[in-house]
Amino acid sequence: MSRVGSLPPVLRATLRSPGGKCYRHCDRPIREFHLASGLPGVWTVRACPGGVVSVTYYAEWTGRDPTRDVRRALERCTFPKRLVRSWDLRLATREGPELGRAAERFLATHPPRRGVRVVYWRVYPFKAKDGTERRLLVCRRRAHAHPVFFAADPAARRWGCPVCARRSR
Amino acid sequence: MAATRRPRRLTIVLAPWCPHCVPLSVKHGRRLARELRVPLQILDIVRSRQEKVADRWVRDHGDASPDYLIPQVFLEWSDGSVQHLLTGFSEQVPRTDRAWRDLFASDWLRSVRSGSRA
Repeated sequence: MSRVGSLPPVLRATLRSPGGKCYRHCDRPIREFHLASGLPGVWTVRACPGGVVSVTYYAEWTGRDPTRDVRRALERCTFPKRLVRSWDLRLATREGPELGRAAERFLATHPPRRGVRVVYWRVYPFKAKDGTERRLLVCRRRAHAHPVFFAADPAARRWGCPVCARRSR
Repeated sequence: MAATRRPRRLTIVLAPWCPHCVPLSVKHGRRLARELRVPLQILDIVRSRQEKVADRWVRDHGDASPDYLIPQVFLEWSDGSVQHLLTGFSEQVPRTDRAWRDLFASDWLRSVRSGSRA
């Protein structure tokens, strides 16, 4: 294991959650990709092929609450950063028995005893001042140092990524 | 060794509009309570009185956030201690279902049923 808090493969595997469809948007399959954040744990983004984000979650094998670090990291790649609200960050502790036998035994035999802390960031669709819907999107152009999160109308013909300018649907 | 402790009550914090909670976690919660031979307490956060109690459970024993995740499941023991067992998975409902199934198949549950966790 390289860093404190990093997730060993057995925990990484059990936390994977493939499948699902893009709810109330395009109904296409959700894809998962990882986000490099500088934090020791694993950051996963669940989004449809069009870039509409279902949820992101950060998982760390730790006894502490990583919510504050997650918020800071999210603010660095979200435009405007006020999109990252405490209200949308939710903590979950995975103790072991609910993670499957391999993960349970791993956690039971690797002291100090601590679970996996997961911080979810889910931004529910909201209305803009003009009454149109806004959803959280992610732009993954290679020109970016990291994926860029922003809010846009998913029904619009073009979305404006605030970092790389316009991006077509 | 201290006096033998036993499971005393299972508590689920939930909301009726949450698909991770109803019917999924109610069904699994009832089964777990049956297997542990304890009563099941359901705290519905839509009902203001129950919400206050639920908030306290989550704050004291669970995964607290300003808008915390549901369901959250707790086991009370005869010595007064409370154990957080499960928090719903925000990814999708089948993932929460899998967590319940893994809990039923866990070493932990087997040891509680056999009394070795007491």
